[in-house]
Amino acid sequence: MRGRAWMIKNGMIHLFLLAASVTLLFPFVWMVSGGFKDSLEVVKMPPQLLPSHWNFDNFRQIEQFFPLYRFLLNSVGVAVATTVLQLLVCAMAAYVFAKIAFKGNQAVFMLFLTTMMIPAQVTMVPLFILFAQTNLIDTYAGLILPGIFSAYGIFLLRQNIMTIPNELLEAAFMDGASYYRVFGSVILPLIKPTLAALTIFAFMSSWNSFLWPLIVTNSKELMTLPLGLSKLQGKWSTEWNLLMAGNVISFLPIFGVYLFAQRYFIKGMTMTGIK
Amino acid sequence: MVGQRKWNRRIAAFVFLLPALIGLAAFQLLPMASSVIISFSDWDLLSKWTQIHFIGWDNYADVFKDDKSYTSIKNIFIFLIGYMPFITVLGTFFAVLLNRNIRGIKFYRAAVFVPVITSWVAVSIVWRWLLNGQSGLVNYLLSLVGIQGPIWLQDDFWAMVAIIAVTVWKDIGFVSIILLAGLQDISDDYYEAADLDGASAWRKLWQITIPLLSPTLFFVVTISLINSFQLFDQVLIMTNGGPAGATSTIVEQVYRNAFQFNKMGFAAAQSWVLFVIIFSVTMVMQWLQRRWVVYER
Amino acid sequence: MLKKSGITMLLIIMVFLSACGSNNGNNAESSAPASSSSPSESASASPSESPSASKEPVTIKALMYTPNGGQEETMKAMVDAFQAANTDVTVDVEVVPYADYETKLNTLLASGSAPDIFEVGYENFRKYAEKDLLLDLNPSIEADASFDPGIYKKLAYDAFNYNGKQMGVTESFSDVVLYYNKDLFDAKGLAYPDASWTWKEELEAAQKLTDAKAGVWGTYAPIQFYEFYKTIGQNGGGVWDAGGKPTINSPANVEALQWMIDKASKYKVSPALNDDTFNQPDADLNAFVAGKIAMVRFGIWNFGRFKDAPFKWDIALEPGNTQKAHHFFADGLTASKTTKHADAVWRFLKFYTSDPAAVSKRIEAGWSVPAVADDAVMEAYYKQTPPESKKIVTEALDSLVLPPVGPKPEMWGEFTGAVGEELDKAKFGKSTAQEALDAAQKKVEELLSK
Repeated sequence: MRGRAWMIKNGMIHLFLLAASVTLLFPFVWMVSGGFKDSLEVVKMPPQLLPSHWNFDNFRQIEQFFPLYRFLLNSVGVAVATTVLQLLVCAMAAYVFAKIAFKGNQAVFMLFLTTMMIPAQVTMVPLFILFAQTNLIDTYAGLILPGIFSAYGIFLLRQNIMTIPNELLEAAFMDGASYYRVFGSVILPLIKPTLAALTIFAFMSSWNSFLWPLIVTNSKELMTLPLGLSKLQGKWSTEWNLLMAGNVISFLPIFGVYLFAQRYFIKGMTMTGIK
Repeated sequence: MVGQRKWNRRIAAFVFLLPALIGLAAFQLLPMASSVIISFSDWDLLSKWTQIHFIGWDNYADVFKDDKSYTSIKNIFIFLIGYMPFITVLGTFFAVLLNRNIRGIKFYRAAVFVPVITSWVAVSIVWRWLLNGQSGLVNYLLSLVGIQGPIWLQDDFWAMVAIIAVTVWKDIGFVSIILLAGLQDISDDYYEAADLDGASAWRKLWQITIPLLSPTLFFVVTISLINSFQLFDQVLIMTNGGPAGATSTIVEQVYRNAFQFNKMGFAAAQSWVLFVIIFSVTMVMQWLQRRWVVYER
Repeated sequence: MLKKSGITMLLIIMVFLSACGSNNGNNAESSAPASSSSPSESASASPSESPSASKEPVTIKALMYTPNGGQEETMKAMVDAFQAANTDVTVDVEVVPYADYETKLNTLLASGSAPDIFEVGYENFRKYAEKDLLLDLNPSIEADASFDPGIYKKLAYDAFNYNGKQMGVTESFSDVVLYYNKDLFDAKGLAYPDASWTWKEELEAAQKLTDAKAGVWGTYAPIQFYEFYKTIGQNGGGVWDAGGKPTINSPANVEALQWMIDKASKYKVSPALNDDTFNQPDADLNAFVAGKIAMVRFGIWNFGRFKDAPFKWDIALEPGNTQKAHHFFADGLTASKTTKHADAVWRFLKFYTSDPAAVSKRIEAGWSVPAVADDAVMEAYYKQTPPESKKIVTEALDSLVLPPVGPKPEMWGEFTGAVGEELDKAKFGKSTAQEALDAAQKKVEELLSK
């Protein structure tokens, strides 16, 4: 029973969503295309959508500028470690806030939330002093530790765990399962989609973090990609082809993680039932 | 037996919470507490922290005397006036469309979120290029339709417009997906009942969708407010707070005072004033939510 | 009341800190007190140590920004040369882009983990010296019989002297000169700029050279703080009077700012001020390479950029109005007051800034101009052409203006920001030259009264 009105309406929706997607994605197309143009073509007027030939010189030039692969490897390692640990720590805490009643539960949770309200720029120096006092400067631990504890992650997972029916947990306890068993074999499997959503957020914030790695690392062996890319900007502030090539390098890995996790992602966001 | 179970529960709660508690205490609450202490000092970030010298409430008094603090707060409100309507109205509109069960919807849903996952540093550079007057695409496209584009990032009016537009571009996917999640929670029964009554699409939007979406809308507005008050990265890279302070923001001022002007104590005081603003706004939102929001069931 | 409770809180936090790091806290604690007592120790120890042949190997840390952007390899070669000559010292250099440099350095200083050596520009040097963060090099200099300050250009060497104490060594200097496109001058049959030129001659030539249809401009200089303090110098003005009082809105300064604006708005020999093109970073450099500007003021660090320009170009002294004035920038190496290796630090500073093995590498790479007085070394620099008239680089120093740091060096950043904002307003026509400078004067007075 699909009439004419339906067709028009459906067409309009497609048209609109397509226009929106193009607007939202176009800067990335432009970025990738710019990363493969040479320095003359990139400023050519009228502009050309795609490079006339795809050249990799920009990437080779960046390679000479800082140890690209080492920085890339560090970024991946730090982001993966941060994400895994953050998921675990947040899920554990969220379980308590959602399902294990204790005195002061609410107050502690609120305290966690207030940490989102103070700019990181001002807590960074005391944090650095703490790390200097504990000899964590210029170590992987120094890079990873501060990223693990996320009030936002706890909040997201708590919302989801709260929607799990208590009867389900009670049944598991009846079967003689311990709290740890319930967490591992009931809670975690049920919140997988939300964990996928948090994976994206956690990976993203570690991958893109700049100020903290800047001050906490001293040696090249430990530096991450954003630090390398920042070296490009001062020198080549208007060499768009090189800057775009740098952006492509930083964009592709996170885009890959997103493509991988996004199947569960929408579902995960839905299941948090944010209210 | 019962006592045993209670103890098990306490121990479990403690074990599960311990890592998060230690981490948050050491890496967030402790630095926060330290920044309160710093805000009562004239620390310049040059002398070692152990030689810190306290000056009472002077920094807070200075914050309220500082023209730039007022300018930055004013700018944030200008930003909010431009940003919030877009993000809520357009976000709701997107979410409603994304909630349709049509072909290719998975692609659309995935596409709107791509700007959200990328770093502000990267997209700010891309946008600085797109908005560049010499080789920028935006002004080229405008020139095709006979419009002489403004000096986007160097004009005290258009710079803020550009910041708002780019921030909407980056955040709209996040807002839409969260609102979509809210929409999917609304039971179809309501719409079927309304269809039986012969309600128009417009009426369904105002009588069912908006009221039942209001909790999610409130969440989105609250998060967006918290983030907007901390507007920083895009400003630093795209305009550096300029021209002549037209896009200067609170956190940009905090960063400048702390690391460029060597006034860490003052910057800490500014941060805590900001904290009070954000906290109050959040509380007001909570209060409004309790009064207005319609809950299902 | 508050002071006491603040200190108590701080103590609590310190206890917490040391408790947190209990597993490796021993390390931290044993090194912390040692570093605070080290300056006296090392200062007295180093002279007696230096003659002995076998020394304990040390590692010194250095933080730099000038090598960023393509000269890291040159810097490494210079450090390697030092290490080859001083086998007991390892120098561990970290390079941070300038935009992030202060954030990083300040955090390190604040936490008490300052690098042994760090790089500073002249304008920031005064700030660090005033805050008593820098090592007084005089004891090392006096103990070093082989050292003669005469190896440096006196001016550049003295720039890092603070109240009689040598607290740093200039590694390189740079200035700003007038670049001109010879082909454009030849096409109009005009004489090239020379030392006798003033603003009047510059304007006359610019009017003949400007060809709006072809997009060619006679002359160009940006309107921002650094250009401003030099231009007012060319008109006999200044930012401070002899007593350290601000004189930003003096008649000579207003006249100079008016001239900066008039070149574009009245005489139309410079690109329009609201022309987006010229407000982009590096736009002026690109325009010069494209042959679109006849005369322009650029730093000498841009020579390499125009090496392959498809036209002949040269440099000259900048025209002034009532007198000549040229920018002078100096980057130097300083040592942290808390360093434990004063002797090794001094040897490195001396080598890196003046040893022929290091200096020649700097020149060969076309990096920057070392501040050494030795003509033989400089001859190698002068020989690298274009530009033909490379000696102008040194001649410009006869009429230099230092960055006007003023009575409160720690306020340099705020001060330049405040004046810069008002200059922006004048540039975009939001206020007149007089109004802008009146406002800047008021802002600076307020800053000083704090």
